Amino acid sequence: MSHATKRLALTAKRLPTIPVSQLKAFPPKEAVAPKPSSSKTAPTPTFFDTEAWAALQSPNPAALNAFAHRIGLGKAFSSPVESVQQAVTHPSFLPLHAKHRPEEPVPATNGNLAALGNSLLGLFATEHVNATFPHLPTRVLKAAVSAYVGPTTCASIAQEMGVSPLLRWNRTPNTPTHPAVLHSDVLSSVPRALTALVYQHSSLHAARRFAQKFFLSRDVDLRSMIKFRDPKLALKITVEKFGRERPVSRLLKETGRLSISPVFVVGIYSGADQLGEGFGSSLRMAEYRAAEDALLRLYLTRQPPHLVQLPTSTFPDALGSVFDAHGPIPEYTPVEMTDTEVKFGSADRSGVHRAREIQEEED
Amino acid sequence: MSVRCARPIFRAQLSSRPANGLGAFIPQVRKLVFEFCNHWPSSANTRTFLSKHLEDLARENPHVEIVVRQRNNKEPIVRGFYLNDRDKVIPLNGFEVNGIQQKVQLLLDSSGAKIKPLKRRTIESTTESARGIWSGLHVEQPFKI
Repeated sequence: MSHATKRLALTAKRLPTIPVSQLKAFPPKEAVAPKPSSSKTAPTPTFFDTEAWAALQSPNPAALNAFAHRIGLGKAFSSPVESVQQAVTHPSFLPLHAKHRPEEPVPATNGNLAALGNSLLGLFATEHVNATFPHLPTRVLKAAVSAYVGPTTCASIAQEMGVSPLLRWNRTPNTPTHPAVLHSDVLSSVPRALTALVYQHSSLHAARRFAQKFFLSRDVDLRSMIKFRDPKLALKITVEKFGRERPVSRLLKETGRLSISPVFVVGIYSGADQLGEGFGSSLRMAEYRAAEDALLRLYLTRQPPHLVQLPTSTFPDALGSVFDAHGPIPEYTPVEMTDTEVKFGSADRSGVHRAREIQEEED
Repeated sequence: MSVRCARPIFRAQLSSRPANGLGAFIPQVRKLVFEFCNHWPSSANTRTFLSKHLEDLARENPHVEIVVRQRNNKEPIVRGFYLNDRDKVIPLNGFEVNGIQQKVQLLLDSSGAKIKPLKRRTIESTTESARGIWSGLHVEQPFKI
């Protein structure tokens, strides 16, 4: 398929599907050109924007109801069609609606809901990642939170839920006051809005369960987010922090040393305890991998899912503000605050010295 | 880990992989469209199905949008639309009412994916092997030439 055909197919996929049975008249009155009058005056030119007309149509209530049931929220709302309609309407739709349908009431949009939902998702993802991986470095924790509930994931989730034909939005270019509104931005606002709706209609715990079902059950590769500049030095400093013997690497197994494809297996030990093991086609490569393995075993230490304790469990499971609600509170043991991350990997400890210099300057 | 990262992590790349069914299961069928003729005898069983069994089917499957269209002088069909933007069409002429029910259930159970011939043993997985790849250096008695 050529580039032009591919783009056409993608655009067609994004256009809303409008069932003809729902319309009062098809083709619409404004689309039909008026008959030329018998007088000899010049005919008034008519212009009908098909794309704008298509964008203004509201999705089928049956489709909205089916969507609510598909994601398991059919019984969650008192009026699922209205709630879902609000969740799929982006604020960029308002100027278009005001221009073409000024006499109709202003539709409810998902701007505020998306903002609230974004905060809630950030909260749930951060506490989940922190409670599950207590020794994860801070930057990796932030990256993991973005991976779990960030804009790319939210857009994918919306796509998988089948929100594309139900969206009401308007593509806007970059202006000095507003950033551009693209399809992925609109898609990502929908799951956030849905989380906020669940919070408003049920409780914080219900919103957390929604987030766990749709966002936190997905697969995120944390290993690829942890990158090392000098794992041997980082391991040496980490082991010192824990008050153990300095790491020593030992060759465990080797084969084909003088051949074209040697394999060395190196283990890195602190005293008698093996911290990590690595393989490589050279001794240095194997040692590097062993140090990396040791640090990954530390950073990716995982609390089993049935033992994970989340801070939001301390709020009672009731409707309304979490601070005013009353109900039973289960026992909660917080995650240990750890300082395992080594923030500098170079020998001159420049980070520490710079902080001291700045303080002296201030004084 | 150094303050100056080995390779920067780009925010746009940060995403997660789907696992439909692990947390929540999203049924893949979104719409069923029935098209029938009002007078041809080939559509008679379809008309019976639509008048007697369709309402119960719709109640049992609230996640599916069901549309009924009259299309005269043509054979009856049922068309299923799926979340992967594909559709499956099944002609309903020649079936009894319970046969039509079976075909509709086939559409409801399908994922919409193209039917791939399984001529060779294929493995589709998002996770690495559970026990790891075999290593000749990690056995009790490594092979010696």
